Amino acid sequence: MVNRLSTVPRLFPPIPAASARLPFHTLTQTPLPGLDAQWSRLVTAKTPDGPRGFHVLDTADALADRGITPTGTILAVHGNPTWSYMWRSVLAASVELARPGHAWRVIAPDQLDMGFSERLEHLEAPSVHADGYRRLEDRLGDLDGLMDALEIDIEAPLVTLGHDWGGIISLAWATRHREAVDAVVSLNTAVDQPAGEPVPPALRAAMAPGVLPSSTVLTDAFLKVTLSLPEGGLDPDVRAAYRAPYVSRLGRGGIGGFVADIPALAQHTSRTVLDETSEALRSWQKPALLLWGPKDPVFRDRYLADLLQRLPHADLHRFEGAGHLLIEERDIAAPLFLWLEDTFNPEASDRRALASPPPAAPIARLHDALEELTISWRRTAPAAVDMTAEQGDRTLTWGQLREQVDALAVGLHELGVRRGDRVSLLVQPGNTLTVILYACLRLGAVVVVADAGLGLRGMTRAVRSAWPDWIIGAVPGLTVARTFGWPGRRISVDALSTRQARALHVEASVTRLLRRHAGALLQQVPAPEPDDAAAILFTSGSTGPAKGVVYTHARLGALVALLKETFDVKPGASLIAGFAPFALLGPAIGATSVTPDMSVTKPSTLTAAAVAEAALAGGATMFFGSPAALRNVVATAADLSAEQTKALRKIRLVLSAGAPVHPRLLDEVQEIFPAAELHTPYGMTEGLLQADIDREGIHQAMRTGQPGVCVGQPVPGVRFAVAPLDETGRPAEELAEPTDVPGVLGELVVSAAHLKAGYDRLWFTDRLAARDTDQGLLWHRTGDVGHIDDAGRLWIQGRLQHVITSPEGPLGPGVIETPVDALPEVARSAAVGVGPVGTQAVVSIIEPEPGLRLRYGSSPLASPDFAARVRAATEIPVAAVLVVDELPTDIRHNSKIDRTRLAQWAQTVLAGERSGAP
Amino acid sequence: MSTEILPGSKVLVTGASGLLGRSVAQRLVDTGYEVTTFQRRPSGVSGARDVRGSLTDPADVARAVKGQDAIVHFAAKVSVSGRRDEFERVNIGGTELLFDEAWLADVEHVLHVSSPSVAHAGESLIAAEAGPADPLHAEGHYAQTKAEAEQIAQARASAGTKVLIIRPHLVWGPGDGQLTARIVQRARSGRLPLLGTGAALVDTLYIDNAVDAFAAGLRRLPMIAGQRLVLTNGEPRPIGELLAGIAQAGGAKPPRLRVPPSLAKGAGLAIEKLWELTGPHEDEPPMTKFLAEQLSTAHWFDQRTTRQALNWQPAVSIDEGLRRLAQHIRRTGRVL
Repeated sequence: MVNRLSTVPRLFPPIPAASARLPFHTLTQTPLPGLDAQWSRLVTAKTPDGPRGFHVLDTADALADRGITPTGTILAVHGNPTWSYMWRSVLAASVELARPGHAWRVIAPDQLDMGFSERLEHLEAPSVHADGYRRLEDRLGDLDGLMDALEIDIEAPLVTLGHDWGGIISLAWATRHREAVDAVVSLNTAVDQPAGEPVPPALRAAMAPGVLPSSTVLTDAFLKVTLSLPEGGLDPDVRAAYRAPYVSRLGRGGIGGFVADIPALAQHTSRTVLDETSEALRSWQKPALLLWGPKDPVFRDRYLADLLQRLPHADLHRFEGAGHLLIEERDIAAPLFLWLEDTFNPEASDRRALASPPPAAPIARLHDALEELTISWRRTAPAAVDMTAEQGDRTLTWGQLREQVDALAVGLHELGVRRGDRVSLLVQPGNTLTVILYACLRLGAVVVVADAGLGLRGMTRAVRSAWPDWIIGAVPGLTVARTFGWPGRRISVDALSTRQARALHVEASVTRLLRRHAGALLQQVPAPEPDDAAAILFTSGSTGPAKGVVYTHARLGALVALLKETFDVKPGASLIAGFAPFALLGPAIGATSVTPDMSVTKPSTLTAAAVAEAALAGGATMFFGSPAALRNVVATAADLSAEQTKALRKIRLVLSAGAPVHPRLLDEVQEIFPAAELHTPYGMTEGLLQADIDREGIHQAMRTGQPGVCVGQPVPGVRFAVAPLDETGRPAEELAEPTDVPGVLGELVVSAAHLKAGYDRLWFTDRLAARDTDQGLLWHRTGDVGHIDDAGRLWIQGRLQHVITSPEGPLGPGVIETPVDALPEVARSAAVGVGPVGTQAVVSIIEPEPGLRLRYGSSPLASPDFAARVRAATEIPVAAVLVVDELPTDIRHNSKIDRTRLAQWAQTVLAGERSGAP
Repeated sequence: MSTEILPGSKVLVTGASGLLGRSVAQRLVDTGYEVTTFQRRPSGVSGARDVRGSLTDPADVARAVKGQDAIVHFAAKVSVSGRRDEFERVNIGGTELLFDEAWLADVEHVLHVSSPSVAHAGESLIAAEAGPADPLHAEGHYAQTKAEAEQIAQARASAGTKVLIIRPHLVWGPGDGQLTARIVQRARSGRLPLLGTGAALVDTLYIDNAVDAFAAGLRRLPMIAGQRLVLTNGEPRPIGELLAGIAQAGGAKPPRLRVPPSLAKGAGLAIEKLWELTGPHEDEPPMTKFLAEQLSTAHWFDQRTTRQALNWQPAVSIDEGLRRLAQHIRRTGRVL
């Protein structure tokens, strides 16, 4: 397309000047959905080159009509090629949310030569040097004039809001008027285009000198491309509204002018102002909020990283999956006004005083155990045993581990890794990972763990969202990083050949750093503070994109203290690490960590023999595994030799974490580990250990016949509350004490010292998850639904979005699943709702015991006789019983049933449409 | 003015020769209402005064509505064959006439019986609400003319008559010669193969529940006039399972579900073919096309408004209904 356009003769028919207009007067055929005519007005402002007419959206009159005096002003500046119409949701929300004493007046001007503001005369085509086009400096002058003309209350808070080129203008204006502006908010934008770096290809095409006039003014190509960016397309009426001021060539002079004003080159006219702004932002101390759509072909994540580096205190919400026209893809008004409320309403600042309950035991630093053991007589005892390594290299003593951690910490520090830098680890579990992890923690570098269970796409999304400064990886991980363009400077695990290192952009290796800095002293490396971030772990992403969960050193320290306390970890303890998050904490809890020979991405491949060999090699007393791993251990138990069988008798504690375990499986596990206590702790990425129960406890609980899976009692230091569900399945805003609502279905809410510090770069999610303030505590909404019984036991029935909202009220899936699972024909079952919220029909989906045929012919329906048995098993009316060969489960643990997917499938099948397996 | 239409009131039931009309009239008699029935044949309702006549004859209608407190209007032409003008004459003209005469005779309350098909045309209905009647898009003469009839009822409601519209969906049970008897008959002779998955969720209504609900609707009419309510058991079931259940109640084996690969694309089409293949057209239930749609796509409704308005809950579940049907057939040897 670009080539064809460039052959258009270089003729530029002049564009005449035209005065500002009111859209509602001008447009007869184009509706402007979402825009209120009352907001629309014309203003004449004194600009640097004389009085000019602006079209402005302004909620002043709408607020006055409601008898409300604004207590602050938001100045919203659009970009190119949009107009003030883009801010309509913010204007609407400002009027809707306004109340006496708290009301924002929103002013959203159309920039000169844009929207319905005055058109300038253009005698020549837009270009870097063409006269008659507005430059960045002119636009700032325009805003000065406008703000004078609009008579803003200077005493009240003033907040700027911008998008795209309007982001730059609004930030530049704010930094020039930093005494008047109290906070800045920006959507996708960029304040720096490093002179050496290429302009994003998406923009380069439109900016090429020969093409620019054609793509922006003579045709509406640039406009069309921008409006086509939102996923799923814009509503046709909205799209038409965006296009309305730019339908004619005569209206598009400003679009070309803006593109020509992009200071890609160091000698560009607007470069000075841009550089001034990007520097001035570094000293911006007042509040800042960034709302970002990462799927933007122009303002990509690297510009976000640049902004964050200049505004490290900024709150950020990165809307995964949204793009350049974020405001058309997501509700940004809700986070914006909540943030303003928090920032400018003094009552809201109480939030920062929220506390966590005291930890179960005194918090230790993550290196304390390592340091203590190094100077104890256990110095030569094994600290880490790696069954994936060659025989001779398997064991590190406490002394060796400490030496390597120190050496690497010094090495990394010398390389430039600093406290607060983010380091993504793409290394398989084993001794090397342990050394790297503890070196990073010691440095105060923030470890980013996006596990392979997310899949490559999910990992890429996760890494881009965390935007690591460094990647430390083995060759396979570094290759993936290169292929998918992950950010961060690269460090390899093994020393690479020069050629390979260059190909993978690797600048150092762990091996060489260890060798070079062996015996180095740590004194020169400052240690992190308790409230510094220590790690970012990603959620499984089973309910939307994976979220980064931030832990501080203090919060991980509280978890370490809790693990020691709950599982009675004594010196000399040794654990087989079949489940990553806990296993990585081995050195911190002072236990030997034994990495069994297994593929980390496939926990279901762990064999009984591999566990036994690990137990023999590391003198193991504990085994941490996932349900999938346990299933395979049971399945392969017959292959154990006599010696191996004996080794497993020495295991005193078996933990199964990550997902519920069927008691039948636990009984089978017990036979393999006859001396062990079997525990299934309950937790989540946001709080790894919250409740615990052992095998006997589960059997006892199940005899009470309550719905769901019993996960036991809260562990020490953990407080639970319940947010009961309403008819539509929504959890109450007020929390209830468990003892006040025994057996009541609700969202479980938790508070503990070892909970997450927050979600990474998801300000709004984080704020909503932590919105409760009961008893002055910081709570976390788990998203899990269930109940707490009168004995104080927690029962989980699934996720909030798995709740079935029948006309009789909300139902947890467990109410149907628990009795149906008890039928002998059923291996496992899932209950889902089909139909709209509040009037859903209940569907039971069965995975039969192997070899059983329960279907009705070749239909997904259960045979009428079996369906009748399912209906008889539960008191809840079941609309349909469906049969599948295998219920879909999550990738990470391979054991959580994907009810969301099943519900979609059931809806299709029961609508009478054809559908394959779920 | 009373807030309810209580026993002792005078009620005209039109179309009381059909199963539902007759059963409702009988219930009203049994609970103490003074019931008049109006249709061409004797109603068979014991204790009711039969007025025989035609819904299209002004004199007949005037005679029937005279002195009534309320009317329950079941009478309609329910058939798939026949000329369009036949439907128009009875369903539209008759309804208009009835409302006119009721107005002249100062009858204040009308319970107008309609059908969910007046608002829908073949699309999947998933927890659907009672949408407005849509004669332009309703399918077939029956649904189209009933849609217009509903619009007349609605117009009269705004002119002052208190009108409640109830749309029962797929009534079945002992005595039902339309759906129930035919399924049993075909299943017994092995002529009820089911093509497709049979998984479409369909709402039905057990006859006894329908009678309870209509009685409640009449009683509460002054309080809930102006509403239109779809009426079902509120227990959607896969159509294959429902047919199997009715077949089994009739002592027949459940129909075999078959999914010929050649039909893998459109289950709806397959079901329509089934009804064409399984017998001569005249013998078919009057709503073949309607039923064909019922069998191939989801048809179930949000019952919350209905239950709240009627202050009623179905007393007989589908499973209990099937047991009662089986008992009835065992005892009498037939559905009717």
